[in-house]
Amino acid sequence: MRKQWLSSVLPAVVATFAATAALAQSVDTGRIEAAGQNDWLTYHGSYKSHHYSPLAQINASNVGNLGVAWMHIPGRSTRGLQSMPLVADGVLYYSGSYSRVFALNGATGEVNWSFFPELDEALISRQTHSPYNRGVALGEGKVFVGTMDGRVFGLDAKTGKVLWETRLIDSQKLTVGFTGAPLYAKGSVIIGAQGGEWPGRGPIFALDAATGKKKWEFLTVAGTEEAMKTWGNESWRTGGGGGWMPGTYDSETNTVLWGTANPAPLYDWSGADYKTQGARPGDNLYTSSVIGLDIDTGKLKFYHQELPHDAWDFDSSVGEFVMLERDGQKYVVHPNKGGFVFVYDRNLKVQNVWRLVENINFVKDIDPKTGALIGRRDFPVGKVTEPPLCPFIGGGISWNAGSYSPKTGLYYKIGQEWCMTLDIQKTTPVTAPQAQLNIGADFKMVPPPGGEIYGHLDARDPITGAKKWEVRYPEPPLGSVLSTAGNLVFVPDSRGVLHAYDAETGAELWKHNNGTGHQGGIVSYSVGGKQYIAVTAGFGGMLADEYAPNFGGVYKSMPRDDGALVVFSLK
Amino acid sequence: MRLPCKTIPVGLVASLLWAALAQAQSATPVPENGTLEVEQVFAGTCGFCHSDGGRAAGKGPQLMNSPRDDDFIRNRIKQGKQGAMPAFDGAFTDAQIDQMVKYIRALKPREG
Repeated sequence: MRKQWLSSVLPAVVATFAATAALAQSVDTGRIEAAGQNDWLTYHGSYKSHHYSPLAQINASNVGNLGVAWMHIPGRSTRGLQSMPLVADGVLYYSGSYSRVFALNGATGEVNWSFFPELDEALISRQTHSPYNRGVALGEGKVFVGTMDGRVFGLDAKTGKVLWETRLIDSQKLTVGFTGAPLYAKGSVIIGAQGGEWPGRGPIFALDAATGKKKWEFLTVAGTEEAMKTWGNESWRTGGGGGWMPGTYDSETNTVLWGTANPAPLYDWSGADYKTQGARPGDNLYTSSVIGLDIDTGKLKFYHQELPHDAWDFDSSVGEFVMLERDGQKYVVHPNKGGFVFVYDRNLKVQNVWRLVENINFVKDIDPKTGALIGRRDFPVGKVTEPPLCPFIGGGISWNAGSYSPKTGLYYKIGQEWCMTLDIQKTTPVTAPQAQLNIGADFKMVPPPGGEIYGHLDARDPITGAKKWEVRYPEPPLGSVLSTAGNLVFVPDSRGVLHAYDAETGAELWKHNNGTGHQGGIVSYSVGGKQYIAVTAGFGGMLADEYAPNFGGVYKSMPRDDGALVVFSLK
Repeated sequence: MRLPCKTIPVGLVASLLWAALAQAQSATPVPENGTLEVEQVFAGTCGFCHSDGGRAAGKGPQLMNSPRDDDFIRNRIKQGKQGAMPAFDGAFTDAQIDQMVKYIRALKPREG
């Protein structure tokens, strides 16, 4: 009798338990790849980096009824709120400054749990690019987050309890840590360190998602014998690099795709003889490059250096690798800070290069067939004023993400039109890693020659760059862009206004003032059959801090230590 | 334009150099000829926020003609300001910070 009960009931119990476990469980590689419409499981929306939601409940015909559903205030938002929220099974996860992590009910904003890591505050007070955090990763029932003092945490997604903690960087030595979101894929948590103008070697790490144990480390500065030959003298010891924004994963090639930061010092006095002269003679591999690493071993499989010997800080750290297919050909589209958009095949071989930004003069052009730079401006010691260098150090393209809509076939991306004057200095070579920046010039933001500073949202063909429409802004927006199947494009701007545009025409259909500037993520998700739009508001940081002195107006009184997550739904 | 405070006496430099070398995390470039180049410190570190070598407002305030007194500036360099400026007390010696204050006080508009 008992045996009979077991045989008849137990399978049902097991099945129910398994179904529950599966539901609560797990964000895994297959699920992120499938990119279910109700969720937003990874920084770029899916591994395809579309930053697109297939939800259409909120659409061009009813967006006028969009209103605030709920808000969440993370507190201590020093330098604003810069992260990309993630959503799985109705729970919204996001991070704030000082790597504070929250798990909220996606329908109501009710706090499920929060995690405030105990950080080395004395160290953080000595950091320049700090204490903002740009997001978390989800995988295997965990939430992963990096910290400014060089650690990565694995948290229980249900409770926020620390399951593991791994220290990866001696932040005391370099004062760099992790501000970017990690990437979860195939059992690994991948995260890149800050680098760029810090004189280190810019590592990218992979950790075992289950245990936190380090699997591999790739040095973006002289990480191979081939690369070592591209750094003259001892400059490889302090070359900068790094990969501070999350890249993505291509399951077809088993490859992690990542964009790398600029070399140090930012500005070099070499002049045209940069191959043999200056602070870091040579091409400086693998800085300002896109790289493909075997996800299992961390070995470099292929790369393209977008800017050999980057002398302008127009690096490749932008994390988007927009994957799409056209006429049977598979492409990867990657924007570069200099204002060009590179189109690659899946092995990072250049297929095309096009300009998003009008004011570019650090090169005359980039060969669309090979990616070779044409007519470089390499500066010797002295002033750079006539003409000024374009774009400004903030880039023609900043680190936040654009959006690709498979429905319209258009890529929606923010461009920035601004320039800078410089005074290049011949600084003494920095021969050992140090605790502070290594810039190499004084500089100042100026308008483009004969024009004004402005920003623009472009709707472009992602392969050819053909422009369908453009919307202009008096100051460049700094937040991410979201497109949806509801024929909508959302742009959170710098003054604090969230705009919704018709995805086909660019006509503004709705706007809402969130009360402070945006410079973080925006996503869409669904809970209980209802669609939501979630955006982070809160200004401040390395680029936003330039707005008050240069633009005045609303920026003069805009806080740079505040922020909120604002979530919208139809009224 | 070369600023009058840019180069400091060799004797003082020797002690500064020793102090700088004693600190593993020194950010101060110390050239082989033994002079401490404050302009280089600005071009390497400070100028990232204080535009045009401190002559214009950028991420940080304009330093030329600052209404703040020397003690305030000295203290701000050491302690920083949360969310706005890093603390440099571990990176620069008191003598080096004094040199920076002198550099700031001598800032003039660029010629031409």
